[in-house]
Amino acid sequence: MTTKIIELGPHQLALEEPMYFRVRLEGDRVADLDVMPGQVHRGMEHLVMRRNLYQNITLLERLCSLCSNSHPSTFCTAVEEVAGIVIPPRAEYLRAVADEIKRIASHLFCCAVQANAIGEIPLFRRVMEIREIMQRAKEAIYGNRMDLAANVIGGVRYDLTPEAVAYLYQAMEDMKKPLDELYLQFANNPALMARMAWVGVLPREAAVECAVVGPVARACGIDYDVRKKSPYGAYDRLDFEVATQTAGDVRARNLVRLAEARQSVSLIEQCLAQLPAGPLCADTLPEIPAGEAIAKSEAPRGELMYYLRTDGSDFPVRLKWRVPSYMNWDALKVMLKGEPVANIPLIVNSIDPCIACTDR
Amino acid sequence: MTDCAETMPERNNLLRDNLPTTPLSPRERVPEGRVRDAFEDGVAAALALAAGEETTVTWRRDRKGVVTGWCRLPSGEALLPAARAVAELNGRLAMVTPYLPERAREKGEREIAYHFDLDGATLTLTVILPLQWARVPSLTPIFRNCDWHERELMELYDVQVVGHPDPRRLFLDHTLPNAPFERLVPYSTFTNAATGKALWDKVLAGEREDA
Repeated sequence: MTTKIIELGPHQLALEEPMYFRVRLEGDRVADLDVMPGQVHRGMEHLVMRRNLYQNITLLERLCSLCSNSHPSTFCTAVEEVAGIVIPPRAEYLRAVADEIKRIASHLFCCAVQANAIGEIPLFRRVMEIREIMQRAKEAIYGNRMDLAANVIGGVRYDLTPEAVAYLYQAMEDMKKPLDELYLQFANNPALMARMAWVGVLPREAAVECAVVGPVARACGIDYDVRKKSPYGAYDRLDFEVATQTAGDVRARNLVRLAEARQSVSLIEQCLAQLPAGPLCADTLPEIPAGEAIAKSEAPRGELMYYLRTDGSDFPVRLKWRVPSYMNWDALKVMLKGEPVANIPLIVNSIDPCIACTDR
Repeated sequence: MTDCAETMPERNNLLRDNLPTTPLSPRERVPEGRVRDAFEDGVAAALALAAGEETTVTWRRDRKGVVTGWCRLPSGEALLPAARAVAELNGRLAMVTPYLPERAREKGEREIAYHFDLDGATLTLTVILPLQWARVPSLTPIFRNCDWHERELMELYDVQVVGHPDPRRLFLDHTLPNAPFERLVPYSTFTNAATGKALWDKVLAGEREDA
């Protein structure tokens, strides 16, 4: 059997961001993999230490487009923890609404990209059409299709008027049937089964060893969701089940995402129904004292973690964050081993990789 | 380590004993160190056994009942046994944060914080290292996912990770100076984004190589 080394870039992998792989092939099967990140390294951990805490909210929202609400909201939570700031209950619910809208849009984008990767163009279009309901909702409520600018230290900087609540209720109603149909299609459609079932399998033991998080972990039967394990914001008052699968293949990862998107619809409806009256933000903010804090959230791709250390000034001594994709790349070595070359783009996209987040 | 493992409390017992707590009312803040229960005592005991009796953990619980533990290790040598103890408790390495606080730098010290997830709780082990010739053991034999964390640590800071299986640079171009977080490096150089003469020299040099 011939051994060959090939290099694959974003063009071959159907990625919308640059990441390179050096793949060792035995015949036409993958034997080993080296991931080569750093193509969009922007030195953001360097930049955040030269901006004050308030400027960093804006900067962090521009770290990544698909999880652009998770970064500022988790960063704000870390600052609030250091300073002992309690955000108003209405703001907790509004942060959850923004996070869940982003989660639905992100999960659907991932499923659409995978449909595209296997040549199912009508399905790609259909998923993007459904996602468009969420894009329009973002534009109507926040004024932007990607960066929502929803967070400030101490709360949020947007409100939902009764008219906006009614609009969101209708948008959620419009999502239910298409999401249910999509779930059934990804679960049972023979054409999708042929390409996605038993492909790119990550066994549970390997998932634990690689320390993967988010839908990649939950598709292997690891019942871990930060919203349940370390509740934050309004999630301790919202009712939902952690979506899990056990097969650990591409299909299972997509079923977890689609089940979560459907749950997010329910979570948004619960938030709208429970939305308490009151202020949007703490009325006065204390000086940020010296201290350190950890803040975690469940971003669309999994556990997002921030560590903040302050010295009493407005500038962080250190602000470090670890995105969910950071560990998920390593798991590709397990998922791709023994797979034919033709499956590489699909399997890479099935971990919903975020390169802007990884490189920072 | 065998002795430690035998005397360590069972993880499942720790979780079972860690009964759900009532969330605190708004504006109520529990003073550090006041929150104690079986889970926290068990983790602290395991760390003290592994890393030395002087190892203490300070616990904080937020308004939602989420627990964070903070532990400063007495020496760099204590890191490996402490990490093994965390692995025995089914801990997951979540993040590694190296940093240079001004106060530590004045004392000729630097710090690295290792953050672990313990089923929703976060435990941070901080090691204090000398500013010059800092060395830490690689945790990759215990936590596979420490690989990238340590590669990033090595390229951004003047810290040697002993025993790392693949100590190549992770994100930074090989032409950049070592440890840019400890030096004054122009941002555009740091991110390889300068569009001045230096960039064109590099492009032309690349073309010559290709030819």
